[in-house]
Amino acid sequence: MSLLTAEDLNVWFDLDGGRELHAVQGVGFSLEPGERLGLVGESGCGKTTTVLGLLGLLPPSASISGRVLLNGVDIVAGGEETMRPHRWVDLAIVFQGAMNALNPVKTVGSQIVEVLELHERARGRDARARTGELLESVGIPANRAERFPHEFSGGMRQRAAIAMALACSPSILIADEPTTALDVMVQAQILELLDSLCRDFGLALLLVTHDLPVVAELCDRAAVMYAGEIVEHGPMDALYHEPRHPYTRLLFAATPDLHGEGVPASIPGTPPRLDQPLVGCPFHTRCDRAFARCTEERPVLKELGDDRSAACHLNDVVAEVV
Amino acid sequence: MRGADYIVKRIVFALLTVFVAITINFALFRLAPGSAVTNLARVPHATPETRLAIKRQFGLDKSKWQQYWIYLGQLFRGNLGVSFANSQPVSSNLRTALINTLPMVLIGTVFAIVLGTLTGVIAAWRRGTKTEGASVTTALAFYSMPTHWLGLMLVILFAGVLPTGGMSNEFLLNPSFSTHVKDLAEHIALPSLTLGLVLYGEYTLIVRSAMLETLGEDYILTARAKGFRAGAILRRHALRNAMLPIATLIALSLGYIVAGAILVETVFSWPGIGRAVYDAVLQRDYPMLQGAFLLLTVSVVFFNLVADLLYFKLDPRITT
Amino acid sequence: MSVVLQEPAALDDAVPVRSRRGIVWETVKRRPSALVGAGLLALVIVGAVLAPVLAPYDLHEQVGPVFGRPSWSHPLGLDDGGIDMVTLLMWGARISLVVGFAATFVSMVIGGAIGVTAGYFGGKVDTILMRITDYFLVIPDVPLMIIVAAIWGPSLFHIVIVIGILLWTSTARVIRAQVKSVRERVYVKRARSLGASHMRVVLRHVLPQVAPLLIANTVLTIAVAIFDETALAFLGLSDPSRISLGKMIENAFQRAAISTGAWWAIVPPGVLVAVIILACSLLGGAIEDALNPRLRVAHLSARTFRLRPLVGRGPEAL
Repeated sequence: MSLLTAEDLNVWFDLDGGRELHAVQGVGFSLEPGERLGLVGESGCGKTTTVLGLLGLLPPSASISGRVLLNGVDIVAGGEETMRPHRWVDLAIVFQGAMNALNPVKTVGSQIVEVLELHERARGRDARARTGELLESVGIPANRAERFPHEFSGGMRQRAAIAMALACSPSILIADEPTTALDVMVQAQILELLDSLCRDFGLALLLVTHDLPVVAELCDRAAVMYAGEIVEHGPMDALYHEPRHPYTRLLFAATPDLHGEGVPASIPGTPPRLDQPLVGCPFHTRCDRAFARCTEERPVLKELGDDRSAACHLNDVVAEVV
Repeated sequence: MRGADYIVKRIVFALLTVFVAITINFALFRLAPGSAVTNLARVPHATPETRLAIKRQFGLDKSKWQQYWIYLGQLFRGNLGVSFANSQPVSSNLRTALINTLPMVLIGTVFAIVLGTLTGVIAAWRRGTKTEGASVTTALAFYSMPTHWLGLMLVILFAGVLPTGGMSNEFLLNPSFSTHVKDLAEHIALPSLTLGLVLYGEYTLIVRSAMLETLGEDYILTARAKGFRAGAILRRHALRNAMLPIATLIALSLGYIVAGAILVETVFSWPGIGRAVYDAVLQRDYPMLQGAFLLLTVSVVFFNLVADLLYFKLDPRITT
Repeated sequence: MSVVLQEPAALDDAVPVRSRRGIVWETVKRRPSALVGAGLLALVIVGAVLAPVLAPYDLHEQVGPVFGRPSWSHPLGLDDGGIDMVTLLMWGARISLVVGFAATFVSMVIGGAIGVTAGYFGGKVDTILMRITDYFLVIPDVPLMIIVAAIWGPSLFHIVIVIGILLWTSTARVIRAQVKSVRERVYVKRARSLGASHMRVVLRHVLPQVAPLLIANTVLTIAVAIFDETALAFLGLSDPSRISLGKMIENAFQRAAISTGAWWAIVPPGVLVAVIILACSLLGGAIEDALNPRLRVAHLSARTFRLRPLVGRGPEAL
């Protein structure tokens, strides 16, 4: 039994005029204790919506279906009421751009204290002391707790958000684009911090990002998302050296290599609209290996052995190299 | 103290604005064509000696620049001239009028703020439901009604039940304290209700807008992710943050309540500042007009300053 | 009501918004509040414009007793001069709308010019113009209107000018913020570097972007202008030779309509004014909302997301 398992997760958003946007389509993955999984894809592919769906943090215009098993127990079944008790204490999330993720008119310390008090880990003076400890553990001097978010630099805000996420000792940490909008030096520090914290506290990490080098550095495995569904899933090395989906291959190829070998190729075209039913493979219009079957039949995520899976017709053709 | 220089700057700006207002006031009344206006010494029923004294006092026989200087001096000493209508000093007339207006406006405003905040928060909370639609439509409806017309509607509705004119019943002889209070309360009810209803419409819309914007902010999502219940999030984060624009906008609107007060006081014959302005216009009582106008301008500047300082105090992000 | 209601952010120099061509028309078509507002407004305008043709009776013809009661031939009764109320309403709406539109035009021209100039040129020009705007903002408008109208004398022309002179400030601020943001756009900079004159850049590039916001602001200003006209009329400062809706209310008030129980002389004109103001508020507000990218998702609401039964289109593995 895994720590966290998502099964057949679907999310729809209501649109004007009675239409719907099918933002997350049949997503599934699992996470073991201490394991690090990357959720990768372009902006708008549904990765953030997926993790928000895990915690039930969707707006009223959303509908969700599927199962989210936390230690074997489905928490989606009862809606908000069954999902809320697990927030922060089992699954904690660090959002991107901690500028507004922290309330600008309250001190940073008070926002950590309130979590401690809400989940009854500490009260009053103890809570403040614990807050100080948490801040120190991410490299922020404890006396900064009295300050407001705008008095912190971008990197410090992100650290504070991480400290806040760890306050109730969750078993899973979700990081949504933790390094976007930070400059390169700071990015490296944050990644290092995440790495050491997860190791020290045995946290499972679900890292959501569009930035491949980040995933490569931190994660053991990755799930690649496109147009709301997972198109490939497997260990990082395998994905890089031996991708089994054209999108994965092109994604890695599109990442500029600091050592200057080869020209980064961008993927032409745009992702499909998700407010209309799709025929065939969602990627076929941009794929360099598409053939007849791709335009008619939608590929299903199939296991390929060695803990890998991919949703591509090419894998059915024996001895065909993607 | 944080931003002491900011506060000082704002106060200086306010004083400057008052000064400009004073100058405009002077220009408007003394420089406008027509001897009726410039002839401030034309106090009716005054003896020739009094007129001469007034003329000297206000320097009406001197050049405009000198008049301006004298005017400033007079103002500084609190001398706003003498009313044409009742030959009393303008300043004491204004003081009486102000004392009459304040309770009425205060009650109406408090009513509007309380009701408006309540309905605004509920409308934002229940966004997209019929409740929201109904709240917003009602608020818009009251906001759209001309103040004086609403007053007249209330008069029609409550004729016979509540008094519709004046501040108290002048025919009560030696009333007991409780009777007197009851009488005052009855008289103040309709005018303050009128003002309150018109303001409530505006405040509902302001509060709803501010709340909706706050509820869309990322830290609300964070609070939800932390496991807080909706009610707690509203209290701890949403309301606290929405207070910022709400408080400042309300403070700003207070400066303009005068417009509503003028209309309400005219409908209900309430002897306050608004009524004083109206009467002064009718009777061409220029000293009163000038004094009242100055008072009103200063009050707007004052409330603008209050709004500025409030904003500064409530938002830790502003440091200069 | 002397403040044109804007978003809370209007507090700190309104956040600039993106405009698209045809967004005004789109909004009117799509949003119910805009549709209602535009519809009502159109109705009133048509009724007012066609007053000479549609009015059932002559405007100056006494057709019955003073404050005659409503009847089949006079659904809204008669006023204090025995004139048919429905006729009066149509003609009154005409004058009120004329004053409202004219005053708004004046304020738009002043406010627009100042806003565009301040926003486009920035720097010292901007600072000076904004200082002036700030001072105008501080003057309590109704008292000033009263005083100027009293000194100048009641005539429609004076009223229009007086109202217009006080309403331009909010327009100036809003337009200035928008112009500032448009000025920074790439195609504007390109046009300038290619040698286009200021005038050309403003007319061809800046104004079209600013237009939708200007329209929204105009509509909202009309609402305030009409309110101001009724207020001035009520205080006896409007043109006595023309009947506006505000004047109708004032007449009824002065001639003791209430004590004689002639509610039909007071209620309808006020309702019509309220309808006009409401329509303008709905329409202007809807356009403003459409231009505003900030009213996005509500992270918190009374309603929550919904659950659906399992779909079953998931992966076969895992």
